[in-house]
Amino acid sequence: MAKAHKISGVKPLSSYRENARIILPQKVEEVYTWEPFIRDPARREELHNMRISIKRLRYTMELFRVVYEFPKEYSKEGGTADDKRFAEFLAVIVDLQEILGDIHDCDVVLQVLTDYTHQSASSATRKDGIDRLIDQTRETRKADYEKFLEKWEHLSTIDFKRKLLSFLVTVPI
Amino acid sequence: MAAEVKIEASASDETLETCAREIIVNYFHEMMSYKDGAKDGRDIEFVHDMRVTSRRLRAAMDNFADCFPKKLFRKHYKKVKAITRTMGAVRDLDVLINRFQKTLKTLSEAEQAGIKELIEHLHREREEARKPMLTLFRQLEETGFETKFLEFFGRRT
Repeated sequence: MAKAHKISGVKPLSSYRENARIILPQKVEEVYTWEPFIRDPARREELHNMRISIKRLRYTMELFRVVYEFPKEYSKEGGTADDKRFAEFLAVIVDLQEILGDIHDCDVVLQVLTDYTHQSASSATRKDGIDRLIDQTRETRKADYEKFLEKWEHLSTIDFKRKLLSFLVTVPI
Repeated sequence: MAAEVKIEASASDETLETCAREIIVNYFHEMMSYKDGAKDGRDIEFVHDMRVTSRRLRAAMDNFADCFPKKLFRKHYKKVKAITRTMGAVRDLDVLINRFQKTLKTLSEAEQAGIKELIEHLHREREEARKPMLTLFRQLEETGFETKFLEFFGRRT
């Protein structure tokens, strides 16, 4: 698993709000460093690394949620436009994390089943179940990967990265 | 269930360092609250929750590293990383066992036999994977990790 990118430019004595604008865009950029690899379904390691980077971005967005979401008790409508936009961006990130998680789970299952088949002394009949599961998991992995790529291409089409970055840096200091 | 730490709205205008200390300490408390259940091992959710919270804690530590003196920060960070790693080995096996158990009913009796053997094999691996986790917990207790961690991150400069 790739290490988290070092965050630079943090100002410990400046406000939490101001630092959200410094830290969050760097977490977004970390996710996109894996983009050149993801159109090849065989790049398991890079897909996994993208999932981890997305998870880091998700957790960081949740840490800074307070900066972008106005507390409900101060708002008669129970939320502001920025509240909703932040929640929408975060939902996309969570969705990507989950689908990449499904792909990774399939990769792990396939590895375990293949290793077990090679080392196990089970009879041919007993291996039938394993072979069946390998086939099922391959199909699920293929479907999950296609679903992920479709989502990713859609996000590229709607310029998701630029919109997210521009939202994250426009929080008032 | 592991949840994100609530941060008050007023925190936005506090310094990053003040917030960082509070967040890290809160996540640390939450992570350690699952330790006894994880040690017991009967309910797999404790390992899961402790692992997820350790990841959230690390995400916070990655983001806020510049708020703290480097040397001691790294020492504490490595320990949290070791917690995530040893729990990950156990959790991965829990997920696999759970998944294979669910698939059993989709298979014929003959096919089930091979999967049942695999599940037994994974249970044995799980017992092995718990050993480094329990050793780590014992080391952390013996070296007063919890107190040292809280002293370091709870202290204001």
